[in-house]
Amino acid sequence: MTEPGAARPLLDVRDLRVHFFTGAGIVRAVDGVDFAVQPQETLGLVGESGSGKTVTSLTLLRLSPRPARVVGGRIDFEGEDILTKSEKAMTGVRGKRMAMVFQNPAYSLNPIYSIGDQLGEIVRWHEKVGRREGDARVTELLRLVGITDPGARLRQFPHELSGGMKQRVCIARALLCNPALVLADEPTTNLDVTIQAQILDLLLELKDRFRTSMVLVTHDMGVVARMADRITVMYAGRICETADARTIFRSPQHPYTRALLESMPRVDHSYARDDARRLPVIAGRPPNLIEPPTGCRFHPRCPEAGEECRRIMPEPKAIGPGHTVSCLKRGSSGVAA
Amino acid sequence: MTEAPAAAALATAPPARPPGMWRQGWQRFRRNRTGMLGLTLVCIVVLVALSCAWIAPYEPNDQSAMMRFGSREGPTWAHLFGTDRMGYDVLTRVLYGAPTALAVGIGAMLVASVIGILIGGISGYLGGMADELLMRFTEFFLVIPVFIVILAVVRLFGIVVVGSPLESIPYLNLMTIILLLGLFGWPSIARMTRAEFLRLKEMEFVEAARCIGATRRDIILRHILPNALPSLVVIVALGIGGAILAEAMISFLGFGDPKAISWGQLLFFNYEALKVAPWASIAPGSAIFMTVLGFNLLADGLSDAFNPRLKQ
Repeated sequence: MTEPGAARPLLDVRDLRVHFFTGAGIVRAVDGVDFAVQPQETLGLVGESGSGKTVTSLTLLRLSPRPARVVGGRIDFEGEDILTKSEKAMTGVRGKRMAMVFQNPAYSLNPIYSIGDQLGEIVRWHEKVGRREGDARVTELLRLVGITDPGARLRQFPHELSGGMKQRVCIARALLCNPALVLADEPTTNLDVTIQAQILDLLLELKDRFRTSMVLVTHDMGVVARMADRITVMYAGRICETADARTIFRSPQHPYTRALLESMPRVDHSYARDDARRLPVIAGRPPNLIEPPTGCRFHPRCPEAGEECRRIMPEPKAIGPGHTVSCLKRGSSGVAA
Repeated sequence: MTEAPAAAALATAPPARPPGMWRQGWQRFRRNRTGMLGLTLVCIVVLVALSCAWIAPYEPNDQSAMMRFGSREGPTWAHLFGTDRMGYDVLTRVLYGAPTALAVGIGAMLVASVIGILIGGISGYLGGMADELLMRFTEFFLVIPVFIVILAVVRLFGIVVVGSPLESIPYLNLMTIILLLGLFGWPSIARMTRAEFLRLKEMEFVEAARCIGATRRDIILRHILPNALPSLVVIVALGIGGAILAEAMISFLGFGDPKAISWGQLLFFNYEALKVAPWASIAPGSAIFMTVLGFNLLADGLSDAFNPRLKQ
């Protein structure tokens, strides 16, 4: 990791807004999100289901799903604005400079092509090399992700591999063209716990070897604790808090971050059904993003919410080196909304 | 059909070679008895169609039996299936009906597949307004009484071309029927294609392909369409049988191509003599039955082979 602020960030997202224009109304899935990823850094993007994590990561590749439109903000990647690139230029970014690892390895490989076919095609397409060189690159990557006998696996089909193997293949696919940034969207959610650890270790190892940056999208605090250099916590399409991983776990500032950490079961703690020893939960439900709460998005569920939280939407405020938080109770200024 | 290369690959491949989707389907298909029966029937029809010029005992338009023995003669060694009321050798005529039947079935389904896959594919891939419009258009085609329209068009077209240069095109009438069957046969293919595209375009591997920089063309032609083919093969095989049956009905009503030899037409020529020369009707009737049954069983077998979970 480079010194914060010294190098220009690899990825710089400013005030990103992605809205879904549905029949029921406008869903503000991502509503003013800022974050940056430094070269060779792992950023953990954390939040509960529906907080806009996946939409954010797909938007980075400009592949936000259909009724969604980017309505504002910029995404600077390697010094260029992703949002103004031509579609043709984007196909040169996707898979080559920025690649993605998906949540469900079982479905993210095309069932009718062999591993060698579908990975080799990517190399040949992006690097303009021949079949032999392409296959060599694929074999090399399969070996690096820990697949035994990679030469023989080239001819196998996805359904012949186990879930963990498939995810390894997906990771190999993401790294084929040596991208600058890997987006990993819940890469271990659908795997066995034992395999999860292996895959996470593999991701860390390969990230160092390939000197790539990574955006790790997850709802699992345990995963980011292990993987991330910095953590950004999202709630209802907005960012609550960003800090380096240590700070987030040691001294979380935003009430939502605190609640999230408290609701994680701990091994050294015994829980019971009575009120005193019950696992803390965040009261209420995730907000309806068609009509999000006014002011701070978290105020209906926030234990500290005051009257002004209902009216004023907090802006991010730096409260320490590399530590920003959006909360009126932590000194954020805000605009009425 | 698709089984042939798969079968060849199976014979030569070492046992360690893992199965792809098609080979896997073929392996399941092989265990399906009715499906294999269908495939056998279809293969027989195809072989007959290819070789009828050599295996047929007489010329298809040879009416000389009329002079030698008279017509409507029962089966003999000289005429295995007898002769019909116009002195044709029934076996010869039935054999020569096979290429016509296949031309109708495959030709009509070719036309229908092109239109159906195009419309269904666009509809399913784009979704939204385009989908709505194209599907309403498809439904419009579904409610047309196809048969009556085809009969009317064939008759009118037959009158219109008289005296025009079009008249010299061989089998013009038959081609009109093929084209019309295709033009009205596509809605089911379009609906299936659309359903498959709708299902597949949301699959993660398509999303993954996009994320890896695949162009829209690649997505459609390499990732979505090939995955939709198994379902389409089933519906096309069913459609071939349907088209053959439809042509037989058209010809039976006397709207067929007088120059082409088709089973339906043989029935049309001979049904009046059903009591005195039943063999002349039974043979082409059985040929239609076997062919259509063959294609239906084949389609059933393919459907079981490609969607094993649907089978109870």
